[in-house]
Amino acid sequence: MSMFFQVTIDGLLTGMIYALVASGLSLIWGVMDVLNFAHGEYLMVGMYVSYWLGFLMNIDPLISWIASGAFCFILGILTYKLIIRHCLAGPPLSALLATFGLSMMLKNIALNRFSPNFRILTGTFLDGKKIIIGNIVLPMPQLVTSIFALVVVFIIYYIIKRTRLGWAIQATAMDKEAAELMGIKTESIFVLVFGLGGLCVGIAGGLLPSYLAVHPEVGGLFGLIAFVCVAMGGFGSIPGALLAALLIGLVEALGGFYIAPVFKYVVVFGLYLLIVMIRPKGLFGW
Amino acid sequence: MIYFLKKFSLILLTFILVFTLLSGVVLAQEKVIKIGTLFPLTGSCALAGSRCKAAVETAVEVINNAHPECDVPLAAQEGILGGYKIVLVHADHQGKPDIAKTEAERLFNQEKVYAIVGCYNSACTNPASFVAERQGKIFMCGCSSSAALTERGLKYFFRMAPTDKTESIEFCDVMEWMNEVKGTNLHTIGIIYENTEFGKHAADEGKLAAAEAGFEVIADVPFSPGATNMNSEVQTLKAKNPDVVFGACLGGDYTLWVRTMKQMDWLPKMCLNYCTGYQDPVIAQQLGDDGNYFMGGTGYSPEFADLMPAVAAVENIYKTKIGPSVPFDSDSIQEAVATFILAQAIEKAGTLDYDKVSETLYANEWDSPLSMGGKVAFVPGGQNAKAMSMMTQLQGGEYKRVYPPELATHDIIFPMIPWNQR
Repeated sequence: MSMFFQVTIDGLLTGMIYALVASGLSLIWGVMDVLNFAHGEYLMVGMYVSYWLGFLMNIDPLISWIASGAFCFILGILTYKLIIRHCLAGPPLSALLATFGLSMMLKNIALNRFSPNFRILTGTFLDGKKIIIGNIVLPMPQLVTSIFALVVVFIIYYIIKRTRLGWAIQATAMDKEAAELMGIKTESIFVLVFGLGGLCVGIAGGLLPSYLAVHPEVGGLFGLIAFVCVAMGGFGSIPGALLAALLIGLVEALGGFYIAPVFKYVVVFGLYLLIVMIRPKGLFGW
Repeated sequence: MIYFLKKFSLILLTFILVFTLLSGVVLAQEKVIKIGTLFPLTGSCALAGSRCKAAVETAVEVINNAHPECDVPLAAQEGILGGYKIVLVHADHQGKPDIAKTEAERLFNQEKVYAIVGCYNSACTNPASFVAERQGKIFMCGCSSSAALTERGLKYFFRMAPTDKTESIEFCDVMEWMNEVKGTNLHTIGIIYENTEFGKHAADEGKLAAAEAGFEVIADVPFSPGATNMNSEVQTLKAKNPDVVFGACLGGDYTLWVRTMKQMDWLPKMCLNYCTGYQDPVIAQQLGDDGNYFMGGTGYSPEFADLMPAVAAVENIYKTKIGPSVPFDSDSIQEAVATFILAQAIEKAGTLDYDKVSETLYANEWDSPLSMGGKVAFVPGGQNAKAMSMMTQLQGGEYKRVYPPELATHDIIFPMIPWNQR
């Protein structure tokens, strides 16, 4: 029984990380109807920022997430200003394909500048620390990263639902023209939303090097799972993305342990297909 | 002004045309043998792939130019076949078998390479070497370890490294020796492997060798390479708690596996690795203390310098291509061996005829100072019958020779030191 609890906790912790990565993607889609294919590569960029700060300046990921978040926030803003803004005037697919191109560019820049080497931060503050309750082991790097991720998701959700800025974002998402008539600067909202998307994934990327190796391909599967979370949760819904991410983390861990590790992604994508068949707009879609 | 520009453009175009034609004639007259390399230069095994590529470049540097400081065949002369130089054409299969096949076809059909050296991943070597065989061209394989590759009866396929079959038997030999000499009472085995041709075949050979040696495989854990986490995999091993784990995890997956075991606070008594991330000195360096006490079959490590004295001079050239702190490793050195052996065979055959070169490769025993046994000789199917490796254990970040006893320099640290006592 203790193994069941252990695997369940592992799954929930993994799901919380997925939630933070997916929430930024969900936000961008919800407001702008743009799918950011470079989202996984934003994560990779955030991880590299954190890694280099740790490697060169001995700054722990517990602090360097701030720099990673800020860097990806700016990267998000630049992406919007330099690419997406121009694509929005074109056919709907152009923004999507542009972000795909951006993902390729970021990955190849990383390959060129940092080589394909796997880079590991050792001796971090949380490295090797764990909480042991009976037979259950809670590794501190994963635990702290996951709790942090959950807190950031709740803060983003709070901002969207409870602040004037969040209301402006919601108004822009619902009806851009009407929002402009109400005096909302929708262009600034778009810039901010892309920045916030980058911020979420940047924070996740800043924390992950405390237990994950950094390399140019690291964002690929995270990005794919984030897409599944967003689609499963309902495009544009942050609570939906959170619930979907936790579900995915759970089925991945339980399926991997009780069926076979090699089937864990089969179970994840199987669940996604099942939910999409029953509720094509996702769990919280409207 | 426009008239002048038009006239200038015409003259310029004429010059370019004449220059291009002339340079074409010059190139056609050059004595060049194009060899393709096919490695994972992107993807989760890119680190190993880039080192294999650098190793082939090193061999070509030694073959094309006089390097009297290197005590290896062909180093004293410049080129082969009376002045032919080898030119490399590099390709990237990204660790994907379908891309490996397409790139092999492109190398042969469009780049017109004479032979291919590759592919690191057995799963990619399989289709790429079939392309070569279909076209009657030579495929030199350095380090892909799936035994199945040399059980296909191919005529133009040659592999330098020991196979996972050999390694599996060696793993069981170590366990038996430990039980007999050290009284360790090792009985149960867990096998963790990537769900690819390489991993599955290694696992099959592991199970076969274990059954023959009377050990029990109690955990069979395949995984999808490139996963975001390996929690379920390690939890499965932890739940079964085998005495020994055989690992077939390449590149980044090896790192993730080791780090996840640390997070889950679990280790087997002994961990034996196929030709994977364990043998990668950069990964070992990155893992630091976490990488210590793991074991695996090793074809070369700087600690073997006294056994393979000719490597040092060649390794110096290799370091200029890959980085001053990166020595040869078990995998990359085999790709250099593959290139040297091909060049030696062409030189000995005295022709580029594929059948004659292939026959020459089979008919001779080749001097290979970069190989552990010092010799290379092929048996039908293309396996190097002289391939050898020895068991090492990472101790203090260095690959120490621990088995067989007659070649060992250090004792095996047993059981592995728990994470909280390091």
